[in-house]
Amino acid sequence: MTENIKFTVNGNELEAKSGELLIEACEKSGIHIPRFCWHKRLDPVGMCRMCLVEVETPRGKALVPSCTTEITEDLVVDTESAVVTKAQEGILEFLLINHPLDCPVCDKAGECPLQDQTMAYGPGESRFVEEKRHFEKPIPISEIILLDRERCILCARCTRFSDEISGDPLIEFIQRGNKTEVNTFPDEPFRSYFSGNTVQICPVGALTSTSYRFKARPWDLKKVSSTCNCCSVGCSIELNTSQNKMLRILGEDNEFTNQGWLSDKGRYNFDYLHSENRVLNILSKEEDSFSKISISDATEMIKNKIAELDNPNIKFILGSSSTNEEYFVINEIANYLNKDKFLSKDSSNIYFGDDLLFEGYFGDQYSQAKLEDLDSSETIVVWAEDIKDNLPILYLRIKKAVKNGSKLIVFGHTNTAIAGLADFYFGKDIVSNKFELIRNPNEIEDLKNNIEGKKVTVITGKSTVFQKKESLDKLINYLNEKAELKVFNSFSKGNTFGALQNIDEVKGLNEFCNEFDTNAKNIVFTIGVNPVNSSYFSQKIKENLIASDFVISLDLFVNETTELADLILPTTSLGEKEGTVTNMEMRVMKQNKILPAPGSTLSEWEYLVSILNVLGENVNYKNEIEINNYLSEQYKNQEKVPTFDNLNKPSNLFGVLNKKDININIKDLKEDNFSLLMVRRLYGDSSTQINSPSISMLGAHKFIELNSTTAKKYGINSKVGNFIQGPNSILINIEINEYLPDDLVIAPINRRGFEDIDPSLDFNITEAKNREELNVN
Amino acid sequence: MTWDSKLIDRANQIIELYPQKRSALGPLLYLAQEKEGYIDDDSVVEISKLIGITEVQVRSVASFYTMYKQEPSGKYLISVCKSISCEINNSREVIESIKEFTGLANNETDVDNTFTFEEVECIGACGGAPAVQVNYETVEGMTPTKALELCKYLKEEVPKVIVADHLQDKFGGTKSFDWAIEDNSGTSSTAPGFQIIGTSEEN
Ligand code: SF4
Ligand code: FES
Ligand code: FES
Repeated sequence: MTENIKFTVNGNELEAKSGELLIEACEKSGIHIPRFCWHKRLDPVGMCRMCLVEVETPRGKALVPSCTTEITEDLVVDTESAVVTKAQEGILEFLLINHPLDCPVCDKAGECPLQDQTMAYGPGESRFVEEKRHFEKPIPISEIILLDRERCILCARCTRFSDEISGDPLIEFIQRGNKTEVNTFPDEPFRSYFSGNTVQICPVGALTSTSYRFKARPWDLKKVSSTCNCCSVGCSIELNTSQNKMLRILGEDNEFTNQGWLSDKGRYNFDYLHSENRVLNILSKEEDSFSKISISDATEMIKNKIAELDNPNIKFILGSSSTNEEYFVINEIANYLNKDKFLSKDSSNIYFGDDLLFEGYFGDQYSQAKLEDLDSSETIVVWAEDIKDNLPILYLRIKKAVKNGSKLIVFGHTNTAIAGLADFYFGKDIVSNKFELIRNPNEIEDLKNNIEGKKVTVITGKSTVFQKKESLDKLINYLNEKAELKVFNSFSKGNTFGALQNIDEVKGLNEFCNEFDTNAKNIVFTIGVNPVNSSYFSQKIKENLIASDFVISLDLFVNETTELADLILPTTSLGEKEGTVTNMEMRVMKQNKILPAPGSTLSEWEYLVSILNVLGENVNYKNEIEINNYLSEQYKNQEKVPTFDNLNKPSNLFGVLNKKDININIKDLKEDNFSLLMVRRLYGDSSTQINSPSISMLGAHKFIELNSTTAKKYGINSKVGNFIQGPNSILINIEINEYLPDDLVIAPINRRGFEDIDPSLDFNITEAKNREELNVN
Repeated sequence: MTWDSKLIDRANQIIELYPQKRSALGPLLYLAQEKEGYIDDDSVVEISKLIGITEVQVRSVASFYTMYKQEPSGKYLISVCKSISCEINNSREVIESIKEFTGLANNETDVDNTFTFEEVECIGACGGAPAVQVNYETVEGMTPTKALELCKYLKEEVPKVIVADHLQDKFGGTKSFDWAIEDNSGTSSTAPGFQIIGTSEEN
């Protein structure tokens, strides 16, 4: 523990930790010092000089930047003296010399630190009569970010973020002095999974998002805090709407989870809410075409179908975007509908739409890790899918821990982004199926020393669906024995943990396919999930759905799955419903409503409750709060139940940790030697993304990766080709990645065209021949 | 142009000199300049691959320091100091006479790519002001007439290698101090001649 020391600000004695930055210590005591470049999540640089304060030194009073000055015992500081005021005015006058003052057409106006601080601390008048600097404006620096260089005040927040935090420094200062500008290298756009954060932290309107440019004025926005549902980190977000349209999502600084950052997927995946393709009426299929029907007709139809089919199997396939309250109701209806059929617990009829679900490491044996444990871990072990593509903010948290000295051990099939940070990397030779220490192979001893007796956090999952759990078990047992262990299960999608927590027993898609009995009568509910696309089991699921007697889809769009349905019940989405979600730490957080449900959409639970009522089971949950009350009863920690009330308090932005036993019942798939590895990319062809025009192009690129030896085997010399399996032929870009082992081909599972590919079957790759083919990019 | 294996070998030898690869950035940029006369985009790409930083990071450094040229220069880059010591020792007139001979304004290159002329800040030769550099080889104690002679010499003799000591003997005046050892190595490109990175030439 560092001792508290005393210092004086404006005549008042204050306390701070030794070594704390002056600007931060003052902030904590309620003294605001203006700043542009300093940001509490970035290293200080002292770039802008806006934070100058006067301190007493042995040689008299001196102006120092408070963002780079550490508190020392008995430091005497003045933040309001005449000299300080003059310095602030001077700095602002200089900053405004080249600033275009185009506030009337600037998105930042109204929430612009430059505007606000000029009002508060500026000279009020400009003496600058010369010609200002001009740049072409705006220039796109990626598909989603625009840059107005004229407005930039060179604070280096964006460049430091991309270097220090996200680790993809594709923007930098170019030139020097008066000519300095932020820019990218020609043909190397700012393609980062985290680029939107730079827009949020830019203290002027130099960096803007294509999706928000000229859309609104900040003072016209309606705002509410919520929780992102893109991955199971559950980042705290602020939803901004105007005239019942979602216009922007910002990251909120939640110390425990995202610390202010968001992935671009979480930030920009919202246009779909207002897409004209969205289903807004209940649709019933008659002779291959859908027509509108009413909710009462729909529920009647379901009731009649159940009766007509005489004791059918009723199965549910779930997605990850439901709230805890919705999963709770799904569990209720599933239990009710099957109460005669399934009496024993080991025959659940609920399947979760994630290929990589495994039995997990829950329960009393392993202690559940929290994200903050990463910071105090001496060693972090990752055995999972690519963290950057699947849990982007977890990637940032791991990266931060590594920067602060934690050792990182990574097991992975491919050389992924996370492996790039590793001290020890075990790559798997997919052919021999053995993990081998690739980096530092001579340092096994060192590796042991970093585990035995140390605080170790392990992030565990599967790096492919075909992996056996046995090998993971071995690793976990070893770590549990030798180290002070905490475990994360890396199920990465949305509210997966909420589903596991609120449903008695969950099975996987493989179990769905195994158990499906084509000779029986089958009714299938799909709820917010599209397993006919982007799944290893796409083909089988498609066949099974076609073979089903009645399929009911609760979803937002007509897609590969819902087009097979007999009945589509259009549902609500982010910002249109209220509820709680559970993240990978088992932290329960609140999602809030700010938009009305469009058209005749209803929340999933509302449909399910009306179906139950029509079937004669009298449930009368009137709202989410009531459901929340019921579901809270099952939590273990009854003193701290995450009610709507306590999660809504600003102090509880961070959510409440809560747990309940989890029951997943999944058999391992057989493990074979595969030469095609299908991996999930952050961007893809989900219905929400392809219906969000501002980011839809990010998931359009089709490519495979292989090394040059493998390419030679297929006789490929060009950069484009065809990926062929059975009747499917996909035009692809071919990317050579020498880090991959021989004979391995990597393809994205969630990109258009790959939905029909089965990794366990043979495939071929050929060179593109004609000119038309060569034109893809 | 992309780098051939010989240049890459040289680059790797330079990288070996440093505990961290990225520290070799400065000298590698001089290699690019030696080869192309300026820092072209292809070289930026090569360097970024060699030392494992992004292209824009390389460009950031290359565009910050004025001795890394962002555009092709002529065969002889003439830099005249205009900072204070030189200014009060008449560098203005030296500048004027060079401008007159070459017909160039500041930062211009002539059509046949013989000369690039630039006015620069202090080049660390204040004791021998006014100072001029040809391809970063320094001549001290310049006068307007000597400057003209220097230009003529370059234009007519077209020396392959530029060596500071030779120029000093022929065209220079008072030196800041005697460098003691005779140095015969110079440069044959617009990159400064450094023995350790192999941009210097024996004459
Ligand atoms: S673009 Fe914005 S964040 Fe980046 S340096 Fe300029 S003012 Fe700062
Ligand atoms: S905030 Fe301190 S120098 Fe910019
Ligand atoms: S002022 Fe000219 S060399 Fe220093």
